[in-house]
Amino acid sequence: MTPARMAVLRTSLATLLSHYRRHPGQLAMLIVGLWVASALWSGVQAINASARDSYARAEALFSSDLDSITRRDGRPLSLDDYLTLRRAGLRVSPLVEGEWTSAAGDTLTLIGIDPLTLPDDAPLGRTESSAGSLRDWLLPPHRVRVAPDTAAQLNDATRLPPLEIDPALPPGTLVTDIGVAQRLLGFEGQLTRLVIAAERSAELPAGFVRTSAAVIASPGQLTESFHLNLTAMGLLALVVGLFIVHAALGLALEQRLGLLRTLRALGVPARTLIAALALELLVIGLVGAALGIASGVLLAQALLPDVAASLAELYDSNVGTTLALPWHYWLGGLVITLGGLFSAGASMLWRAARLNVLALGQAQAWRGRLRRQLGIQGWLGGVLLLVAALLWWRLSGRAGQQELALSFAMVAALLLGTALWLPPLLAGALRLAARRLRNRPLAQWAVADLQLQLPRLQLPMMALLLALATNLGVGSMVGGFRLTFLDWLDQRLLADLYVRPPAEQFDAVRDWLIERPEVATLLPARSSDATLIGSDSRNAGGTDTATPVKLFGIAPEPILRRHWPLLDTHAGREAAWRALAGGEAFINEQLARRHSLAPGDTLRLRTAQGTRRLSIAAIYPDYGNPSGEITLPVTRLASEFSAPPGSLGVVLAKDRASRDALMARLREGLAARFGLAGPTLIDQRSLKRSATEVFERTFAITQALNALTLGVAGLALLTTLLAQAETRRAQLAPLWALGVTRARLVGVQLAQLLAAATGTALLAVPLGLALSYALVAVINVAAFGWRLPLHVFPGQIAVTLMLALMVAALAALLPAWRLWRVPPRQLLQEFAAS
Amino acid sequence: MLQLTDVTKTYPTPQGALHVLDGVDLHLGAGESLALMGESGSGKSTLLHLAAGLDLPDRGDIHLDGERLSTLGEPRRAALRRQQLGLVFQQFHLVPSLSVADNLSLQARLAEREDNHWTQHLLARLGLAGLNDRYPEQLSGGQQQRLAIGRALAAKPRLLLADEPTGNLDETAADEVLDLLASLVDESGCALLMVTHSARVAAPMDRCLRLQHGRLAEPGE
Amino acid sequence: MKRSAWACVVVLAAIAIAVLGWQFRPAGEPSSSGYAGLADSSGDFAVAGPHIELRFPQDHGPHPDYRIEWWYLTANLRGEDGRPFGVQWTLFRQALAPPTALATDDQPWSSRQLWMAHAAVSTPSDHYFAERFARGGIKQAGVRITPFAAWLDNWSLMAPPATRGLEHLEVTAQGDDFGYRLQLTAEGPLVRHGDGGFSQKSADGQGSMYYSQPFYRVSGEVRIAGESIAVSGRAWLDREWSSQLLGPGQSGWDWFSLHLDSGAKLMAFRLRGGGEANAGDYVSGSWISAQGQVTPLGDDQGDEELRLTPLAHSRVAGRRLPTAWRVEVPGHGLDFEVRARHPKQWMGTSFAYWEGMVAVEGSHAGVGYLEMTGY
Repeated sequence: MTPARMAVLRTSLATLLSHYRRHPGQLAMLIVGLWVASALWSGVQAINASARDSYARAEALFSSDLDSITRRDGRPLSLDDYLTLRRAGLRVSPLVEGEWTSAAGDTLTLIGIDPLTLPDDAPLGRTESSAGSLRDWLLPPHRVRVAPDTAAQLNDATRLPPLEIDPALPPGTLVTDIGVAQRLLGFEGQLTRLVIAAERSAELPAGFVRTSAAVIASPGQLTESFHLNLTAMGLLALVVGLFIVHAALGLALEQRLGLLRTLRALGVPARTLIAALALELLVIGLVGAALGIASGVLLAQALLPDVAASLAELYDSNVGTTLALPWHYWLGGLVITLGGLFSAGASMLWRAARLNVLALGQAQAWRGRLRRQLGIQGWLGGVLLLVAALLWWRLSGRAGQQELALSFAMVAALLLGTALWLPPLLAGALRLAARRLRNRPLAQWAVADLQLQLPRLQLPMMALLLALATNLGVGSMVGGFRLTFLDWLDQRLLADLYVRPPAEQFDAVRDWLIERPEVATLLPARSSDATLIGSDSRNAGGTDTATPVKLFGIAPEPILRRHWPLLDTHAGREAAWRALAGGEAFINEQLARRHSLAPGDTLRLRTAQGTRRLSIAAIYPDYGNPSGEITLPVTRLASEFSAPPGSLGVVLAKDRASRDALMARLREGLAARFGLAGPTLIDQRSLKRSATEVFERTFAITQALNALTLGVAGLALLTTLLAQAETRRAQLAPLWALGVTRARLVGVQLAQLLAAATGTALLAVPLGLALSYALVAVINVAAFGWRLPLHVFPGQIAVTLMLALMVAALAALLPAWRLWRVPPRQLLQEFAAS
Repeated sequence: MLQLTDVTKTYPTPQGALHVLDGVDLHLGAGESLALMGESGSGKSTLLHLAAGLDLPDRGDIHLDGERLSTLGEPRRAALRRQQLGLVFQQFHLVPSLSVADNLSLQARLAEREDNHWTQHLLARLGLAGLNDRYPEQLSGGQQQRLAIGRALAAKPRLLLADEPTGNLDETAADEVLDLLASLVDESGCALLMVTHSARVAAPMDRCLRLQHGRLAEPGE
Repeated sequence: MKRSAWACVVVLAAIAIAVLGWQFRPAGEPSSSGYAGLADSSGDFAVAGPHIELRFPQDHGPHPDYRIEWWYLTANLRGEDGRPFGVQWTLFRQALAPPTALATDDQPWSSRQLWMAHAAVSTPSDHYFAERFARGGIKQAGVRITPFAAWLDNWSLMAPPATRGLEHLEVTAQGDDFGYRLQLTAEGPLVRHGDGGFSQKSADGQGSMYYSQPFYRVSGEVRIAGESIAVSGRAWLDREWSSQLLGPGQSGWDWFSLHLDSGAKLMAFRLRGGGEANAGDYVSGSWISAQGQVTPLGDDQGDEELRLTPLAHSRVAGRRLPTAWRVEVPGHGLDFEVRARHPKQWMGTSFAYWEGMVAVEGSHAGVGYLEMTGY
């Protein structure tokens, strides 16, 4: 570029930017829009990036390429077992794994390895290549490897070997030599499992089982749905934020059209003008992105502990509570923000490029443009809604994990389509209203004037619509889930007290409890593991898989048969229980959906005791459980599947004394006779409490993001109103001069906005309900494997309407107050010759 | 109809207080027409705004139709403007969101004094018949100013205040608008206070006053 | 805002992002040096010397107070069709700490002893190898004196039950794509190298305890890629332990164990570097008559002269190795060339080296093994 053109560009840019000196509100609106859009988006992305980093580390450590070998009888492996396999030429490596509690009370996973026999390039033994570090590792004081984020929390210098920092390790994990781990965990002489390279085939001696790495579900896959959820929320926030940006840019262009024409008339080439505008966008974008990413990281830091806790409870996966952000996160945040800005600014650049210089001072034909625009929006919205309908139709059949992205696409199409329809619908409603208000001039003017404001108001109103609909939809879903979940908890947690005695005491404790007068019914339960190797389904035909499933044994006592929830049975509830007693099985909803199973189908299982065929008698709901489960009578689980002793549920006698007194007596007896106390006895109430806590925490993030989105929508409205305040004053002054008091003008303004917000809310209600239905019927099924009944809460709908009015009123308050306080002199200036 | 007594208005400026009006006395009888002339910045518009009750004087009294403006609250002043006054601005200040017909009857409706015959008559006289459903931006400058005059007269005000009503028009359109204004004022029998800097515009008026250094004087004095 | 101020903002943002990125970068890795740590000083370990007398069968077993030790078997074999094959079986022991540091040798998983085994088969054109590791204290690897057994996992060098000594052994090992099982019978006595079993390795005087059984006759089978091949030939077992094998500055060695058709054997090595300005190679060897009498060979100062001269080099695994040599012992009229059967006999193990079968031609004919380290 020549210096002369450079000077033209510089001058043009300075002239263009001078607009913001006179209208700092518009600049603030632009930057605030970018800021919130990119803050929420990059906050969510920071959480996702950190969690993914944790999963990647965990996955690299455990599941990557190592198969597990354990004893078939479930007993711990001994050194002799290890040597037997090694002498047989099997390249197995011993591993010790356990929970270790730090001085600070944190529970960490402690893994002991033998670096000498770990398969080559297994990440666990990765840094043992040099002789010096191997010597340090094997000889006192040994070494313990730990991720930097976990190392920061550890201050156990006295109990642990010196720390070695390894950023590749997952958080909450300590890796040390096997001998050290045995000593720290009190596992002398025991091995947890043996590992072998997955690609290495081996003839195992009888008495050992090999579990393939592929079967060990990776946390990454399980939690993918959770993160997709977060991403969707982040995307929503980004879109809502970009609405603000779009509105601000439109305003800034419109008010500068005259300036642009003047500049063109003064000899600034069109290309230079576009370049100057683009440069302006870039500068604003960089500032907005920097602010947004910085706040996003802060936001993520605030939310991450909750996310980590949810993930730990939902999926049993460890996520660090400190952020670990790769370089591409920062670049990604910048690109998304700038991309969003330029997508919002594209129309501005396009219009500026096609600027008609000769149209100097000609009034804008805004009415025709608005009509055209509304038409296009109507079409586009219609297409999107059609897409949503098609997707819905395709997904309503069945939805697996892989359909999750498609489900979100459907929801996005539904939301955007409806949002695009909002302005045409509002315009239509206003036209109708205008006809009926001929006799009320001020109201007629207000309606006509609202139409005039529509081009500006439509974007914040669309943002409000999206925020309201998601609030209602997610609120209904969570509310419905809460109802269903609590109900289900009541049905499932029948016993007042759960006793988990040590295996050797199990029989004695059971016999003692049966004799006690305080006990009405005893509900023993056991669990075991098996591999689902196939199924014969009447609907889906035969399938072959190798999925680990949990076997759960229950005692089909009358009280349990009465309460245990069932979703679907082969031949009625009573028949189902008879079938269970007669050798059939119940399966949970997750398993049924994942494998398209229905009552009447059969399962093929591989267990330590050989292969089994089981007929499905019923399907039961099992919320909160990520994996598939098969339920059998507990006696059968003990005799046929050699399940170890589990827990004893105690239902207290109802007719005697108070529950607390009975409970206390029973606890005393158990303590005195068997020394059972503390964690071996679990009160049903505390179990329910912790289950409810898990539930609340799971949705805390969703609700927090939801509230933030609503806040952003309110902000969009506020900034729009502030930015157009000056224009509005010019439009209001003549009314005032014609004899409408400022108070009434303020009232009309508020009424206009509230009316628009009400219209938006009225559309948000059906949209929110549709969204709620999509969440419970499609997205939850795909993400978690269970379907919920749709609950409609009139209270929530009322809250949505109130929220809309409140947001609109809050947003309108400041501009209204400013109009109220504007001195007549300023209104008079509107009449001064321009 | 309109009585200004010793009206003084001062605006604070960085260079000290600016005496825009300094003890102005003015009387305008019913049906009377008055042209107010003066250099730009002489305080013509301020006087007009004070007469309309859009602003209040620092000193002195303004009586409009027997009511003392400075003692009235804003709602009452606004009501007075709706019902007794018509305002015509140099910049027209039409409501862009309303059609020609709705713009015309806006003030009449606000004053709850809509007279369909009168409105139709005005439309015809103003040459706007057939343009009912158009919007202000679709009209020429002359048409817009005629519409503004119509809007001011539609409520049958007792006093029409016009601020350089032809300032934005070319000479032909200006003459046309002025003729129309004069004859419509005659027809409706309202008084007219018109601010202008053009002697040609002021000539047909009953009286003509010049505002100079914040005081009123007969022209040529 | 001024243009320069904007530039400032952009630059600051870039710096902030760079700094944050640096905060989250992965940490670097440590590094080490030296060929297998064999030149580390002996410290508190036992030290080999000429005063130590070898006693059998006790010395067939491990010497845990010495830093390093090995049981090193090489075999030159032929298939029934006459194709040459080579087999290597080695068990290394390394003590990570001197005996005084801790006495936990018997505690499972906390032994200071480390075991490493290498196995290889060379075919006329290919080379197969594998390695295994184990720690002491858990009996995954070890050496028993009577009846003799050295093993790591399922690789073993073992005497039959109720025998003493090393006269009859069976050796077996399996890699992913090869394996072997060979029966060995000694047809001559054990041979002590150097000064009654102390083999000096540098002019400074450090060295190792070193004896051999070079007189094994071998038969058995070698399995390559599923194919079983009956083989027979000769084998050589080296036993050596030390706490400091190499002198300071010595970088590696070239080692020969040769079976001459006359029935005589030659052991010879050259340790490179060390001495004055690391320029003086240290050359030593043993001339072993068919009956097992030993004549120490050296660099012409007291001992009979031995000369080892590289003749030709090959590029192997990215290194330049001398794969053809001229060996001269003028006192015994020896002057022959030793050539690798093929240069691909590279042991790409944790500590990599070249170990492979060679052919002897010149004043004498024969076969043998050549080992080259530190290249």
